[in-house]
Amino acid sequence: MPQMGVSVAEGTITAWRKRPGDWVERDEVIVEISTDKVETEVPSPAAGRVAELVVEEGATVDVGTLLATIDTGSKPGQPHADESDPPPPAEEAEANGNGKAPPVSPVVRRIADEHSVELSAVSGTGRRGRVTKKDLLAFLEQGAAKPAERPLHIESPYKEEPAPQPSTPAEAAPTGEGERLSVMRRQIGEHMVRSLHEAAHCTTIVEADMTAIEAARGRLSYLPLVARATIAALREHPRLNATLEGDRLTVHDEVHLGIAVSLGEEGLIVPVVRNAHELSHEGLGARIKDLAARARSKQLSPDEVGGATFTITNPGRYGALLATPIINQPQVAILDLEAVVKRPVVVTDGQGGDSIAIRPMTYFCMSWDHRALDGVGAAEFLGSVKRHVEGWSD
Amino acid sequence: MPEITYLEAISDGLREEMRHDESVFCMGEDIGEFGGAFKVTDGFFEEFGADRVWDTPLAENAIVGAAVGAAVEGLRPVCEMQFADFIACGFDQLVNVAGKMYYRQGLAVPMVVRLPSGGGFSGGPFHSQNPEAWFLQSPGLKVVAPSTAEDAKGLLASAIRDPNPVLYLEHKNLYRRVKGDVPEGRYETPMGELRVAREGTDLTVVSYGAMVHTALEATEDIDGASIEVLDLRTLCPLDRDGILESVRKTSKVVVLHEATRSCGVGAEVSSLIAEEAFEDLDGPVVRVTAPDVPIPFSPPLERAVLPQVDDVRKACHDLLAY
Amino acid sequence: MATTTARPAALDPHQHLAHEARLTVDDRRELMRYMLLMRATEERALNLYRQGKVPGSFYDGRGQEAVSVGSAFALSPRDRACILHRDLGAHLLRGVRPGLVLAQMMGRAGGLTGGRDGNMHFGDKDLGCVGMVSMLPDMALVACGLGLAFQMRKEPRVAMTWFGDGSTANGQWHEAMNVAGVRKLPVVFVLENNQYAYSTPNSREFVVDPIERAAAYGFHGVKVNGNDVEAVLRASAEACERARQGGGPTLIEAETMRMHGHGAHDDMSYVPPEMLEEWSQRDPIETYEARLRDAGRVDLDVLREEVKAELDSETDWALAQEMPDPSTATGGVFATEDPVMGDGKAPWSRWAQEASNA
Repeated sequence: MPQMGVSVAEGTITAWRKRPGDWVERDEVIVEISTDKVETEVPSPAAGRVAELVVEEGATVDVGTLLATIDTGSKPGQPHADESDPPPPAEEAEANGNGKAPPVSPVVRRIADEHSVELSAVSGTGRRGRVTKKDLLAFLEQGAAKPAERPLHIESPYKEEPAPQPSTPAEAAPTGEGERLSVMRRQIGEHMVRSLHEAAHCTTIVEADMTAIEAARGRLSYLPLVARATIAALREHPRLNATLEGDRLTVHDEVHLGIAVSLGEEGLIVPVVRNAHELSHEGLGARIKDLAARARSKQLSPDEVGGATFTITNPGRYGALLATPIINQPQVAILDLEAVVKRPVVVTDGQGGDSIAIRPMTYFCMSWDHRALDGVGAAEFLGSVKRHVEGWSD
Repeated sequence: MPEITYLEAISDGLREEMRHDESVFCMGEDIGEFGGAFKVTDGFFEEFGADRVWDTPLAENAIVGAAVGAAVEGLRPVCEMQFADFIACGFDQLVNVAGKMYYRQGLAVPMVVRLPSGGGFSGGPFHSQNPEAWFLQSPGLKVVAPSTAEDAKGLLASAIRDPNPVLYLEHKNLYRRVKGDVPEGRYETPMGELRVAREGTDLTVVSYGAMVHTALEATEDIDGASIEVLDLRTLCPLDRDGILESVRKTSKVVVLHEATRSCGVGAEVSSLIAEEAFEDLDGPVVRVTAPDVPIPFSPPLERAVLPQVDDVRKACHDLLAY
Repeated sequence: MATTTARPAALDPHQHLAHEARLTVDDRRELMRYMLLMRATEERALNLYRQGKVPGSFYDGRGQEAVSVGSAFALSPRDRACILHRDLGAHLLRGVRPGLVLAQMMGRAGGLTGGRDGNMHFGDKDLGCVGMVSMLPDMALVACGLGLAFQMRKEPRVAMTWFGDGSTANGQWHEAMNVAGVRKLPVVFVLENNQYAYSTPNSREFVVDPIERAAAYGFHGVKVNGNDVEAVLRASAEACERARQGGGPTLIEAETMRMHGHGAHDDMSYVPPEMLEEWSQRDPIETYEARLRDAGRVDLDVLREEVKAELDSETDWALAQEMPDPSTATGGVFATEDPVMGDGKAPWSRWAQEASNA
């Protein structure tokens, strides 16, 4: 640490300009220091290769303290400590000769950006293995699939041979671009993501014996009957018939029942049976049927889609047993009806005797918002639905 | 269409202009009865007389200065420097009087200074220079450098008709070595427009003057690559759009000129490309030029200094492989 | 001071031509008026300079008024002039208003170069004047070119150019003299020997009186009292006649004194005070004024009043001119049309006379 002024006793290393292994010329600035009088650059007293930085940046030491050592016997041009090999001769086209990635030329970067190409997927024929404009243009022309993100360490570029497909040659490999989602898909997606993000989703599942429903439904599907049972349960547990917006919970008197309708590939829509609590199960059946038909033929009016207080979704006919549906915002719960499957169950008769019987069983899966409810409330509600279903009588 | 030499084309062009407009006249050393050091004005004295073909004293500032005076009074002088190198002796009048007159005073100076430039024949340091860069740095002067016989005639006509001082670089080594079909009668080749000497897609060589021929020869077949060669023809004003259009197409550029390296046309073109077409580059812009040395006299030394066909070939080859 | 030349110059057949420049009372009045106008304009400009309104440097020709006025008075409208920095009188005679000169010096858009060049670097091309550059005496060669054009077109027109004693050391001056002599160009070279080139006195500038060089270059040379406006006029008129008649160039050495410094920034302390004192006794305006009063034909007081009034209104005009728009700085480098030079005013009554005689 040099003496900078008569009264200065110590100095602080602000920044090293050289690191070990670097060549420094005599009088070339080697370090920046600061004292209470001045901030200054210190020229090297000798030429040579920096061997060791003894004092680190930020440290304050007394004047006279050794700051660094320089090997004055070394010669410039010798390989830096960091360099494993001398630089390769310019004529040889090498891939990664000195550990550095080959440069990306401006035009290659621009074209790659314009087409969202990951350059690591393009093989380069240029110097040091770099990707040339020609390489990139050829790559784009072939329409090779482009990975959307940098491959992970564990992912290899190995591609398995695709299984022979019945598809015609016209069904070629997907274009590199991919297909943009439809507006409906995007909207559904946004709604789902938002719902998951905002609500504290929990799913409670209750098993129910559908014997009574099966006996009563006739030619109707069981949906309207279960819907009727659900409405009855909602009257008993009004907190489930509510909407939550921010921290504001609104419990509704009326039940406006949303029924999810699949539109096939396109997506799904949830038309609403308004004032469903006023309808019998036949009335519910008729309304649901009408709404579904008009949903599929795109004849719903805007106020038939929205304002529900509770939603039922019923994909059961496809055979799935359980599901964890996503709540239809801003409601606090959604009930998913899955398949009804005949199973052997234990039945207890009036005398308390147990026996095995074959019964049509189903699972009522309800996702609910823990911000508005607790597990007990959810379970109690589902218990009521089960009771109404199992005790169904016209 | 007759095939004539580059020299004959210059002579032809000058003669046509002098016949067309009697305000056009020539001034220079030994251009009268002697017909000029390179015989460009051979026969002119007989046709146009002593007044319009003036054998001046050996005084370049006088030639250029008097040309300024005559030009502002409505004549169209065509000065000849016996060698381009001697423009240094008329530098002051050219740069300070001729070049700045219009900007300062709104007084146009329609004059041409013909400069027999370039080397390749053991002319030595004072008979081989390519001084264009000095004047590209000096606002108010236009500079042209034809490489073909056809352009030599047409560009001279344009230079004479232009109301500004125009430096006309005629490369001495092309005088008799280059021939071409040259239309008869008067025509003007537009200034400020380059010519695509050969179209290509893989690499562009930007050049002018004698080096255009070197470029064409060197790039006929380099690993089968398709190489575009541009003949700038006008150095000021530069055809920036023409250059950039080619760069966008090929993305690799070699700038070739016989003039020395530092701050020459190559430096200007490289800079232009870096500023305006950076995202079209697939490699560095490379210059092939004479190094910063006086042009030596002895043939092996001169050959080592002036860019040769092999130098161009190597530069193109290396850039193609980049 | 005389030198022997190796070979005597050819005798000028017109050397005997002593043109008696005929001057009317009005002509004399005009000679006086232009000298007064030059001095008044330069004094006013110096004031503006001291008030900080003139960027850059300021040069004037105080004490040399008779040289530019006397010589330029000999020019006809179709003649051309390459005027230098101490020859404001020539500009005024050709028809440039003082206000334009002041606006030029102040760098205003309405000045003669629109602010693109400063101080005396201007020349109104519409009045047949070509503006100077700093390198001296470049304009001598331009004047040769103008003369060349007249000669080639066989026109009886003259190119007049001014330069100082220092210029005669410069190669371009010799090239101009030589070329003019070789071609017998219709050029009048007016050498204003004001004793100093900046701080360099004649004794350090040359060994041979420059007037002798005229003969060396093969043409007529004449030395006159540069502070006698009519003497300068006579010599100039004779030189112009010689040129018009194909007799070639003339060198006129006008002896005068630079009464101010090289520029306003120069205190000229290198000039012996007694020299200044001596020359102030020979002030061109005061001496001519004395002669005119003796002859009693010119009302000098009225003249001075007129000149002052003119300067006042011209100054007001100049001060009202705007500074140039910066966005125009990079335009106008290249011309799109051929040059057109106009003719100057020429107040000498002889031209009107000749025009009516024609």
